[in-house]
Amino acid sequence: MSKKKFSVNGTFKDSVNTVKFLTERKQFINSAEAVIPTRTDDFGVNKVAKSIHPKEQNLVISRIEEHGDIAKSYYFKSEGAPLAYFKAGQYLTFKLEIGNSVVTRSYSIASSPASALSGEYQITVKRINDGFVSDYILDNWSVGDKVIAYAPEGNLIYNPLRDAKNIVGIAGGSGITPFLSIARAIAQGDEDCSLTLLYGCRTSDEILFKAELDSLSEKNEEINVVYVLSHSDEEGYEKGFVGADIISKYAPEDNYSIFVCGPGGLYKFLDTELPKLKKEKKYIRFEVFSSGKKAEEEPKEYSITVINRGDESVIKASSSETVLCAFERAGIVVPARCHTGECGFCRSKLVSGKVYIPEGEDKRRIADMQFNFIHPCCCYPESDLVIRIN
Amino acid sequence: MVKNYDAVVIGAGNGGLVAAARLAKEGKKTLLVERHNLPGGFATSFVRGRFEFEASLHELCGVGSITGKSPLQKIFQEVGAADKIEWVSLDEAFRVITLDENEKCDYSMPLGKEAFISKLEEYDPGSSAVVTKIFDLIESIEKTLDFVSDIQDFKPSMIKEIFSEHTDFLKVANYSVDEVLESLGASQKTRDIINAYWCYLGQPTDELNVIHYFTMLHAYIIDGAVIPRGRSHQISTALLEAFTENGGDAWFNTSVKKIIVKNGVASGVELDDGTQINAKAVICNASPYNAFTKLIDEKEIPEKLKKEVNAKTLSAKGFAVFLGLNRSADELGLNNHTYFIYPTNDNRRCYELSKKLETNDVQATVCLNRAFDDCSPEGTSILYMTSIFAGDEWSKVSVKDYYKTKLSFAEKMIDNFEKATGVKIRDYIEEIEISTPMTYARYTDAPAGTIYGYEATKEDGIVKRIVFDMIDKGIQGLYFAGGYTTRHMGYSPSYTTGDMAAKAAVLAMEKEAK
Repeated sequence: MSKKKFSVNGTFKDSVNTVKFLTERKQFINSAEAVIPTRTDDFGVNKVAKSIHPKEQNLVISRIEEHGDIAKSYYFKSEGAPLAYFKAGQYLTFKLEIGNSVVTRSYSIASSPASALSGEYQITVKRINDGFVSDYILDNWSVGDKVIAYAPEGNLIYNPLRDAKNIVGIAGGSGITPFLSIARAIAQGDEDCSLTLLYGCRTSDEILFKAELDSLSEKNEEINVVYVLSHSDEEGYEKGFVGADIISKYAPEDNYSIFVCGPGGLYKFLDTELPKLKKEKKYIRFEVFSSGKKAEEEPKEYSITVINRGDESVIKASSSETVLCAFERAGIVVPARCHTGECGFCRSKLVSGKVYIPEGEDKRRIADMQFNFIHPCCCYPESDLVIRIN
Repeated sequence: MVKNYDAVVIGAGNGGLVAAARLAKEGKKTLLVERHNLPGGFATSFVRGRFEFEASLHELCGVGSITGKSPLQKIFQEVGAADKIEWVSLDEAFRVITLDENEKCDYSMPLGKEAFISKLEEYDPGSSAVVTKIFDLIESIEKTLDFVSDIQDFKPSMIKEIFSEHTDFLKVANYSVDEVLESLGASQKTRDIINAYWCYLGQPTDELNVIHYFTMLHAYIIDGAVIPRGRSHQISTALLEAFTENGGDAWFNTSVKKIIVKNGVASGVELDDGTQINAKAVICNASPYNAFTKLIDEKEIPEKLKKEVNAKTLSAKGFAVFLGLNRSADELGLNNHTYFIYPTNDNRRCYELSKKLETNDVQATVCLNRAFDDCSPEGTSILYMTSIFAGDEWSKVSVKDYYKTKLSFAEKMIDNFEKATGVKIRDYIEEIEISTPMTYARYTDAPAGTIYGYEATKEDGIVKRIVFDMIDKGIQGLYFAGGYTTRHMGYSPSYTTGDMAAKAAVLAMEKEAK
């Protein structure tokens, strides 16, 4: 160490300053009040955070609207805190107990963000073949029933910093709901984009919300709706599937972003159609989708040892269904939301065994792959498994 | 249901993870409880489209890549996590740019003492003599801190040694950065460059304690900084893996309802499902705002602890924009890893301006591809921009205005970045995520969305905390770890206090056993 001593204001003043250190601190603490500090939940920021992202929302069904015999809209009011605000295009995840199963399912919110502020959510449930939860809801939910939903989530939302100002929305079947929300938000002045909606259905009977969509399009320059029928040739409708030709025909001249929401068949079709448009990846956004099932000629049976807070249980699983599906059937509650591998809420440790993750559905973090953490909602068992969920 | 453990750790943030890993390594039967579904707290990552974004870490110091002085790496090694983390060393310290046209500055500084001094000499000819003196002082302070932290058994002779060998430290202990740099005769330009890291502590240098700041300069510039390849989530998960490999139990999606304290002694916790965990030591990685209002009976909280929390001020609130860009860093001209962009060189003024949405133009931005280019797919890049808000402006933002407000502040940050660097990014945004103080409140329960714990004010600087605040907070068997304890909030400090809390708990258990 160098012999030359350092000094700020001279040795004496520096020493006095250092001694002050002791008294300053004592005074500082002693001058404070000996009362309980502010609760975390009482800070303004934390209140807003909790209001937008509540842990759970207790809802009650306030009315039900039938759309012919193919779908029903459910309207909800809050049983407690105000409904969580959201961005048009997001979904709600419901938690249901069906028999011995505890399941979660997500439905895009059809109502606008503004209506959440005035106390109402709307979702629309369509009857689909083998739709375990959707069928249960259609057959069982009635006005006055209490249901539990998590906070709104999802990334099929317009962001002016990323997306083109013009959105071409491609909807298939019940995939219309997020676009209805976006259209309503545009009409209410809450979203500053235009929407050209290409809505594919089999026949005109299957079109949901036609009257409202027509009216929205008539009253708002920013909204245009085109119906595309695949199974019938009717006047005033486009015929076929929504592909590159129809998109090019109706898309605005200016740059546009494509948003897609619909069933698996639509996504498969678009996989070959959209490249024809030669658009950059950033201008194409899909709502995440997964059926939770894998086509297998002879599904194999496996067992899963589930570790939860130190307790072990053994459940059955099929190679044709996701690991999450096996949990749900066994009534094992995991905090799942999206069911498509995207949100990561169901992340669990694969202690041993082998799973299959379909191509494109593995959205895990790098370190989760390194340490064998999986998203059970997009994993299919390929052996007996040991999984730590908590 | 009742379960018995040697120790229970509340919260798997950086402090809690290291505490748990250390306890398990020492053979203590330990339960780690986390209310979220992930370990790490702030130290995490998330995936959007084809990008994995780092949630909070810019550069990690304490895993020194230059001098090999690696207090954190030592902890990671000892608890069994080190070989699970892949570090990438950085060469660059920062590029600092000011937006003010009248005092426009743009300096790019390297890591490494010699390189730093000679680069500064280029920008500010004639500065090297003074800057060398500054580094001498930085190293002298570090020697004192090493001496103090190496003390196992205190002997009276050590006092003599401190007063004869460690006078530099004693003289500057109660001065601010500005006071010391001024007395050393540093020019304004030199000070502007040396002080550029101030936003990592959220405190202007006219009150920031010089030992606090100089220790940080030592860690970054002299010892070197790194980044984990698997984002900070890799560190968090590695610590968790080390913990479970050593026999620890980790329960996620699990909340603690109460810390059981009777007559000044903590004896365990009660969980959300009513399970009672008996433990000889309770390590609390939750903030005191949760501990002292929700978890512990009011009558069991010593007056001094209540005063301590109320006397302090919450530090900066965080805001970040995460961008996945569809062009490579080379194509865009993103040539630097760390950009500090300030409205002016006067960091007191920056701090004051950061109290309002309209006037806050502070940002620290990282292009991760400049650490390792394969962090994103070929032909793309990742840029994340962080800002800090002094004061509590965000508490005035209503639910209805929330999305609009966060979007317009994010847009301003992007505009400022383009203006400062001349790099165009706006048209190349493939993925974007924005986090606000509300986001930090949501995921970590941070009071008011603060990301730095308490303000490092003159009265509550880090040296005073180390001398006066205790890890053991006056309730027997209860130890605090993380950002609200004896250090500042941040990666290194939280890992360090987690380790200190665990070691204190182990020591107490061993004494009890004797």
